[in-house]
Order: sequence, then structure tokens, then C-alpha cells
Amino acid sequence: MIEEFGQYRPSRHEKAIAWKEETGGKVVGVICCCVPEEIIHAAGMLPVRILGEHEETTEADIHFPTNLCPYCKSCFDQQLKGRYDYLDGLVIPNVCNMIKAMYGFSKLLLKVPYVRFLEVPQRLSREGVDFFTRELARFKESLEDFAGKPISAEALRQSIDVYNENRTLLEKVYELRKKSPPPVSGTEAQETVISSMLMPKEEHNRLLNQLLEQVEQRNDSPGDGIRLFVSASILDDTDFLELIEECGGMVVADDMPMGSRYFYGLVDSSDDPLRALADRYLNKIACPRKMLPEERLAFAAEIMNGANVRGTIIHNMRACDPHLYEYPLMRQRMESQGIPVLFFRGEETETEKEQQRADIEAFIEMLEE
Amino acid sequence: MLVAGIDVGARNVSAMILKDGDMLSCYVLTSGEEGATVSRRAVQEALKKTDFDFADLQYIVATGCGRNSVPFAHRQSTEVVSQARGAFHLYPSARTVINLGAESSRAIRLGENGRVEAFTKNDKCAAGSGLFLETMSTLLEVPIEQMGELSLKADGFEEVSSICAVFAESEVISHIHRGVPKGHILAGLHRAVAGRILEMLGTTGIKGDVVVTGGVARNAAIIKELEKKTRLSTIVPPEPQIVGALGAALIAQDRAAKS
Repeated sequence: MIEEFGQYRPSRHEKAIAWKEETGGKVVGVICCCVPEEIIHAAGMLPVRILGEHEETTEADIHFPTNLCPYCKSCFDQQLKGRYDYLDGLVIPNVCNMIKAMYGFSKLLLKVPYVRFLEVPQRLSREGVDFFTRELARFKESLEDFAGKPISAEALRQSIDVYNENRTLLEKVYELRKKSPPPVSGTEAQETVISSMLMPKEEHNRLLNQLLEQVEQRNDSPGDGIRLFVSASILDDTDFLELIEECGGMVVADDMPMGSRYFYGLVDSSDDPLRALADRYLNKIACPRKMLPEERLAFAAEIMNGANVRGTIIHNMRACDPHLYEYPLMRQRMESQGIPVLFFRGEETETEKEQQRADIEAFIEMLEE
Repeated sequence: MLVAGIDVGARNVSAMILKDGDMLSCYVLTSGEEGATVSRRAVQEALKKTDFDFADLQYIVATGCGRNSVPFAHRQSTEVVSQARGAFHLYPSARTVINLGAESSRAIRLGENGRVEAFTKNDKCAAGSGLFLETMSTLLEVPIEQMGELSLKADGFEEVSSICAVFAESEVISHIHRGVPKGHILAGLHRAVAGRILEMLGTTGIKGDVVVTGGVARNAAIIKELEKKTRLSTIVPPEPQIVGALGAALIAQDRAAKS
């Protein structure tokens, strides 16, 4: 419908380079959704999410043993291959051990001028928010040094507003899928999220408003399919959702870092900006690295509410321990509610696509019966 | 009403003809020919034993990994659903179906009404498959149909620790070189295979009755090891390879009745 969303990811490097040339601004790569992009945005820089590719890793193999996260490896491989050479900065949070390791590797092996490690507390708590607020203040200072100018309180407030608007609009797009048949597919919904992580937010907001206006008159709706919920540790493009939807499924709700977790929960614009950011990025992102299983399951239940889901597909990246630990509980909870579960342990490459297709076809036939 | 189910597997192609819901005739052939030719031949062979011919078939459903290469099928069904359907038809008490095919194996959990509740498939590993057993048959120079029997007669077993088909092969070769009796090696192999199948059952959960289908179900030693490990008795249909084709034919019967 709005082709810019789907087309943005493949051309993201050219687009970022063009943005730099046009504005003279700096582009800062971020990994994971717990980096408060608003601070980077307020410094006049463009935050872009680092993504992997399905291609074979060649450069990162000597640094990463095969039993480590294939997604992180692919992201780093892309950087070593020079695809991200235009980056002026890189922010790597203390999320999982693998991403933490990427900080060290980035300092040693990449030529990015500014590399910042962001401390993120392990658990949701008041003390955690206090700590994270102080860490964000230090992060802001270091960005100010890097930018050569201060970030005003006003600029930060404006950035928070732009980002909150983006979250609200993305949620509206996601809510559309509760209709039957949904006017946007799961693939299209994820395209809006992935492009949001790459595009200047003001531009993205404009496109989202356009989408929400046009969707009413849409005459090429994706049609109906078996309504599914997808929970994934990391899917950094829409290929998996496309595969599901090719097989007759329709993804109407999701729990994915590059899905609902990216925009869930607003930043409280009435609070002190850094504290409000710390609170949102620590307490609202439903990641098993921070949340206990009970909180994660409550989040999944909230997202699924009203979506009329008939089955759940769980896709966990191989070696993503925090997600793999919670899988048996997630499965149990879903099945106890009469929702059948199909589970995949995924790879970043597409070597398993046909196997996955066979299983998804069987799952959908089973639900259709 | 005359309908057919065809199961185009990695090794065998089976055809089942149903007349008014009853099994009329079936045929299993092993072939490496392309799917369209071989599936037509299987149906024609099955029909030879009846008074009917191809044109009398009202509805045809294809299943198996080659289901999309049967141009004359009206509909395709996945192995999960056709195996479940066939096994439940034969044994309405079935709550778990373990399908052990030439290349892939799967565990399927059924509800009271025979509907599939959950399933899992072997991932990437060939250790429990028919092709793995064929490799071992060649290596040990024991015909595949005698492997189970020879293993059951053995008074001991030699551990085959690896569940990887390639590593298991080198382990078996070293056992052969050391002069370990073939029966003992086979007993060890079958234990390892059953262990691999059990691992697959892990997340699906297992409840009785358990029906084992597919060509590998004919290996009595694997069945015995499975029963030991699950502490459940299993049912093996007299012709375990035709269960998928039967399931497909039953789906064809439903479809024909609806249309």
C-alpha cells in the first residue's frame, strides 16, 4: 500500500548516506531496542538500527565461534564487510553477553569514531530507574562532547514528542489487525516498524499518517487467513512473516523486538525527560533479559487481547538464551488457553526456509481442520 | 463413491483406494522416478486389483514430501494431518502418532476427537530416519528387514554414543574392526535411534495409545526400545507405510462428500 516502508530496508545504506550529505549530520548505529534514541535525535543525529542479512558470514567467523548468536554475528559481519562504514557513532547497550561482546569487538576492529557502551540495569525496579537515569545523563554528556554542542532540555522534550507520536501511530497500525479481515498484513505491519528504526522519525510519522488515511479506501487488502500470534527473539526482516502469510496464515499480533516491543509504552512527557526515558526504556520493553517470565506472559496476553488468535508461532534465534529459557513456559501458557503452538529454533541464514514452510503448512492445515 | 489417497514419500509411494469409506485396495512401490509418473503408476497398480479405473476416481488427495508433484490430485494435505487421520481411523484410541519415514520423522499429539493438538519434527538430523538405517544395513552387511530381529536376539549391546548419522557411522566402523558381534552393534544403534525419537517427543508430550507408522516402524527392535523408554506400549499397524495414504484417502472422502 505505502511502498516506502517495505522498500526502505534494502536501500537503508544509500538513504543514510544521502541524509548525511543533505544535512551534514551524524549517523549513529544502535543495537537493541533499549537504547533511548530520543537523546541521539535531540543531538541532531540520525539513529539507525544495525541489521543483519541472510547472506553467509565470512568476516565475523574468525571472531565468533559457531555456538554464538547468529543474528549478532551477522550484524557484526555486515560491519566488518564495510556496509556500515558511513557510521559516525555506535551505541551498544549491556543487554546480553553477546551484544556486550560486540562492544569490545567494535572498539578493536571497527573504525567508528564514537563507540559508547550503555549500562542497562538487569531488573525492573525503582533503584534500576535511578541508576539508568544517571547513566543516561552521562550518555547525554558524551554525545554532547561528540556533537560539539549541548543538547537543550527543549530539544530533548521535542524529540520525546516526535517519538511518542511515532509510537502512537505505529500502535494504530497494529490495532488495525484486530479487524477481521485485517486491512494490513503482519508483514506490512512489521515493515512499518523496521522502517521506523531506520528512517528520520518526522518523515516516518508523515508516512504513517498517510497510511492510516489511505487504509480506509484500500482495495488490495491482504485478505483473510488463519489468525496467528508470533513471538520471536529477533526477526530483523519480514521474511519469516511473509513465509507464514504465503502458507495461509495471517499474523495479527506479535511479541517481537522488531515488532510491538519497539513502540510499546509511551515516554511520560510531563516527567523530567531523562527520568521519563529511563522509566520507559527500562520498564516498558518486554524483553526476557529484564522481565521475569510472569511479566513477559502478561505482556503477551495484553498484546493478544482482542486479536482473536487461533495459533501461536514461536521463533527463537539459536543461542538466544533468555528467550529459549522462557519457551517451555510460554508454550504451556498458550496451550492451557487452547492455543496450539509451533516452535522454531531459527538461524539468520535462510537455510531452513523450506523445512519451516513444511511445518507452517502442517500447522495451518491442523488449525483449519 | 470412489476416492484415492497418495503418499509420495522420500522412498516409497503408496496409493490407497477407498470405496464408500472402506479400504478397497492399496499399493506401495519404491521408485526414484519423478512424482507425476510414479504416483500415477501407484494408483493404477492399486486399481488393477479392483473393477474400477482411473476415470472412476471422484477425488484424489496427495500427501508426503512430494505432494506438490502430483498433477492429478485435487488437493494436498501435509504429512502431519494425513498421518494423524489415518492412524486415528485405524485405532480410535490413538493419542500419539510417531511417524518414522525415510527422511523425516514426526511426533503428533491427538485430542479425543482425533484432531491434531501439537506436533514436532526432527530438525536437521537424520539419525532416526530410514535412510540412516539403510546406510547402517549396507555398512554391517545385514539386510534391512533382518536388522530388528538380529538385534533382539543379541545378548548384549555396544554403545553407539553419537546421534549424528556421520559420526555414528565411524563409530560403527570402529566396532566392526574390533570384532564386536553385529547383533550387539545393532542393539546399540537401535537404542540410540530410540533415544533420538524420544528427544523429539519431548516438547510434544506423549500419551497413550501410541501408534507408530512409516517404514521404520517395521523394525521391531526400535519399537521395543521405544516402549522401554516411554514406558508405554505401542501399536504398529500391519502395514505401517500406508497410513499416510489412508489418511489422504479419508480426507478425499470428506471432500468428495462435501462437493
